[in-house]
Amino acid sequence: MAESTSFPDAKPFRCSVVTPEKVVLEGDARFVALPAHDGEIGLLRSRAPLVCKLAAGKLRVETETGMEVFFIDGGFAEMADNELTVLTEDARRAEEIDRAEVEKLLKEARAMEVHDPASMRERERAIQRARAQLRVSSRQ
Amino acid sequence: MANRRVLVKRRKAARNIRKITRTMQLIATARFQAVHSAAVAGRPYTDKLAELVEKLARAAKGLDHPLMQVPAENRRRVLLVLSSNRGLCGGYNANVLRTALEELEAGKAEGSETEVHMVGKKGIAYFRFLGRTLAQEISGVSDSPRFEEVEPLANEVMARFIAGEIDSVSIAYMKFISAGKQVPVVERVLPLERSVGDAKPEAAVEGDAAAATGQREIEYEFSPEPAEILAELLPATVRVSFFQTFMDAAVSEQIARMVAMKAATDAAGDMIKNLTQQYNRARQTQITMELLDIVGGANALA
Repeated sequence: MAESTSFPDAKPFRCSVVTPEKVVLEGDARFVALPAHDGEIGLLRSRAPLVCKLAAGKLRVETETGMEVFFIDGGFAEMADNELTVLTEDARRAEEIDRAEVEKLLKEARAMEVHDPASMRERERAIQRARAQLRVSSRQ
Repeated sequence: MANRRVLVKRRKAARNIRKITRTMQLIATARFQAVHSAAVAGRPYTDKLAELVEKLARAAKGLDHPLMQVPAENRRRVLLVLSSNRGLCGGYNANVLRTALEELEAGKAEGSETEVHMVGKKGIAYFRFLGRTLAQEISGVSDSPRFEEVEPLANEVMARFIAGEIDSVSIAYMKFISAGKQVPVVERVLPLERSVGDAKPEAAVEGDAAAATGQREIEYEFSPEPAEILAELLPATVRVSFFQTFMDAAVSEQIARMVAMKAATDAAGDMIKNLTQQYNRARQTQITMELLDIVGGANALA
């Protein structure tokens, strides 16, 4: 495992990661770190119910067998009764990310034309996405 | 003689066609299973999203979002039509396109303009044949649609709707109800129904939710404010409903092709049977004739 497990004794809770295309992950987790819209949030069992918006970034799930790292493209997370659901439109395992492809996307994003606030936000978002993917894959 | 040879040829042709249609039937079956399981795999996301919207709507004390604003008039409409890229699927395209045309006529009768966005080569070709104009032609969507193929379409119409360029968006497609039943429908996607969050009267919602999950009302911590989350959540529900219709259409297409090819295979089988019968009869007639000739000849000599 690339990253050491940090909560060896924590009790597990249910965790699922779903996209419109499939259920990416479903199982028990001891610790989950979410890329929330305003920074990273760590979750352990018995956390108070939470609904939160996510940003593009790194999702870490610590399971019985080790750490799983994903890139997720924003979305939402809900935690209630020790059940965490992460809804995102794109979730990819860190090892599935094609760095060359992402570098290309980053370049394209940088070259995007900006002529109004909306297109600026879009460019900003595209750059963030690409950078987040690179960050996630470099940790491997 | 000549007749017999023609029959043999025709039977051979029918056999070849049956081979082809049977193969296509098998391929359609395999594709159907693949697309169907993909469509089912997407369900948890849709369900969970709807659940979240409901919870947030309650927390935010009602919903209000540009996507829900019903314009005063419904004059500029957008109709997205989902047809297939390939033929040989029976009445699939004809049904969808007829429903779409009816919708267009209805819109015209009400005095509004509808721009048509056509997905699928078959629909594009048909509208060209009719001489109707298409605002957008989309033929690149694959047999099993991917979310990222559909997402830009949804984003585009949402942006135009919020900007006030269009008043409503509908999708005409073949809705998948069960393996035995698909219905061509026109569904309104924008403006979003107010009922997304509060369809049922308040009391019923509470009762249902409590009964369904057997749990008390949970006090959530929201980050950021519920209204702000909703502002992101609602576009996501529109995107996913777009994606679901594409999936439905893909599943229905494969079923239609399966059924059409099964019918074609059966018809080819009947034809082969028929031709074999005719061939045997022709052969017997010829033998009888030859025998008569020989007997006649022998009698003449005797």
